[in-house]
Amino acid sequence: MLLSKAKSGETFNILRIEGKEKVKKFLFTLGCFEGEEITLISKLAGNYVVNIKDSRYALDENMAKSIVVEG
Amino acid sequence: MKIALTGNPNSGKTTLFNAITGKSENVGNWPGVTVAIKEADLKKKYNQKGEALKVVDLPGTYSISPFTGEEKITRDFILGEEPDVIINIVDGANVGRSLFFTTQLLELGVPVVIALNKSDIVSKRGDTVDHVALSKELKCKVIPTTATSEEGLLNLINEAVQAGKEKKPQAAPVFEGMDSADPDLARQKYIDGIVARCQVKTRDASKVSTSDKFDRIVAHKWLGLPIFFLVMWAVYSFSIGGLGGYLSEYFNEVLFGEIIPEAATAFLEGLGVHELLQALIVDGAIGGVGAVVGFLPLVMVLFFCLSLLEDCGYMARVAVVMDRFFKKIGLSGKSIIPMIVGSGCAIPGVMATRTIEDINERRMTTILTPFVPCGAKLPIIALFAAVFFPDKTWVGPSMYLIAITMIVIGGLLLQKIFVWENTSQFIMELPDYKVPSVKYAFFQMIDKAKAFIYKASTIILVCNTLVWFAQAYSWNLSPVEDQSLSILASLGSLIAPILIPLGFMGWQMAAASITGFIAKENVVATFAVLLAVASEEALHIPGGALSQFFTPVTAYAFLVFNLFTPPCFAAIGAMNSEMGSKKWLFRALAFQFGVGYTLAMLITQIGSLIVYGEPAVGFIPAIVVTALIATFLVVIIKKADTKRTELGVEA
Repeated sequence: MLLSKAKSGETFNILRIEGKEKVKKFLFTLGCFEGEEITLISKLAGNYVVNIKDSRYALDENMAKSIVVEG
Repeated sequence: MKIALTGNPNSGKTTLFNAITGKSENVGNWPGVTVAIKEADLKKKYNQKGEALKVVDLPGTYSISPFTGEEKITRDFILGEEPDVIINIVDGANVGRSLFFTTQLLELGVPVVIALNKSDIVSKRGDTVDHVALSKELKCKVIPTTATSEEGLLNLINEAVQAGKEKKPQAAPVFEGMDSADPDLARQKYIDGIVARCQVKTRDASKVSTSDKFDRIVAHKWLGLPIFFLVMWAVYSFSIGGLGGYLSEYFNEVLFGEIIPEAATAFLEGLGVHELLQALIVDGAIGGVGAVVGFLPLVMVLFFCLSLLEDCGYMARVAVVMDRFFKKIGLSGKSIIPMIVGSGCAIPGVMATRTIEDINERRMTTILTPFVPCGAKLPIIALFAAVFFPDKTWVGPSMYLIAITMIVIGGLLLQKIFVWENTSQFIMELPDYKVPSVKYAFFQMIDKAKAFIYKASTIILVCNTLVWFAQAYSWNLSPVEDQSLSILASLGSLIAPILIPLGFMGWQMAAASITGFIAKENVVATFAVLLAVASEEALHIPGGALSQFFTPVTAYAFLVFNLFTPPCFAAIGAMNSEMGSKKWLFRALAFQFGVGYTLAMLITQIGSLIVYGEPAVGFIPAIVVTALIATFLVVIIKKADTKRTELGVEA
């Protein structure tokens, strides 16, 4: 399912990242790629706050839709 | 020897740079504060032998392949400038992510020394990173540091200098799968292994923290925007109306209004200086520069507050709050940061647009950022508010409200005028909040004060002297009794007709606006010079000498005109480098001028009709100009629409 459909507080394994190659590469350097864990911390003001490795990031809905997670 | 500082965004590079060089470059608690290369000598404390050691601070990056403009600067420097040694700052609180870039750096052959930074935060969390083991894994020196308290920095510098002298090529990491089809994936696996061996974590980062709970309030769907407005209102009202305003009033009325000019006159008279030279010094130099320096407290308080705000981590949250709204006008949350930085000074504000990946979004932000009133525009606001609206506290804040409105309208217009495909995506790291450093804010304030005084005593002093000369002499270089026969009057008269539809009658307004392009404070200084000569009344008092030129409505319009037309030359220079082409710079300036001009015209004409019940001067020309502008807009938007349908792009 898409990360944008997930519930806050849940941790997922990433299945794949869709979208532009450049954005994919960028997410990769943050540690956001296939097989890694991602936690949805909260949904704030239309953004998705996630935990990747040891840091928090805010992603907009478009980005959240490009992250496909297990479950 | 050249030492380069590299690392992930927000890992503390600039804090470390400031500590070891004694500089006060801007630091902030959000990713992307540093957008240009900063170079300085080491401080004596860290360079006791007095060697020739240069330190270079580079923009933060997550990887050697760049994603945004400022990251490219870093890559080009490391690969092109060949530093003798690289200090790689690894965020101890996120070793796993940092090492991706680290292992890429290690492959370059340049000696690398790692600063394992934020050691204090790591131990506070109860985590440990074994720096000895990490050093063995990576085959380079690893020094634990805390840049904020300067712990471990001497050791770090000594190791770096030694590594730079030895010039022993850095051993590249060897890992399984580095020659495979996906070497980066293999690199991540290799890093995971290192982290597992070197790091002991007691904290689960994926659990909701205090910082997250705080975020849920400040970036709340409904509360986020009111909180942001409240914070900004507090900052500006404290700077303009509160402490800053109070001190400025004293400076203007007592210090530069009485004490200094009187003392200077007495002193010069005592020396028997020629009357004309006396006038030049007292009216021209002291009058003009004093009128600007009087507003120093205001600017200092503003920078102090902004620096606290930037240091605490709130800015990244503001980006999240604003993202939803900015998306509607073709921008993203990232655009708010240049604008807030721009409320101090438009130059770093415009430069901060580099962190925006999408080119159209970056151009748009560059065009809109100068609409935010900067520190140099504060004196104009404060002066006009004091003279024409003495009891009305809404005038200062209203400029910021108009700025926000114009950013929204401007954004919508730009989207209509230009054929831009919106491909923007927003991602922003949210660093943990921290208590802002008062000491740092204080140094920032002093630094900005020095720059302000420097500007006043150089550019503004020169301009003032020229203005004084130009209003006192005619073209054949003989002194004139009547200002309207002077050089300045004849130059001003050339431009004055353009200002007629705006209801500004007289060459003085044209002259003040022109000097304002050199530095916005000049608007105040020019009026100070012109009126010091022509009138006995003080410049700053309510209903003062300025009221011969303006009604309150046209005064308000003049304020808007100076705030929303293109910024000063220095900021235009910054726009030039961010826009990437002269064509775009020209379009940007034309757009800004159009917005400022139209807005001032509407305020004058509609305002006069409402407030005084009769149109202002230049009503008929104003109608003609409005019709022309409207036609022009319709034509270019139509043209853009046709092109959009051709290309199949949505507006």
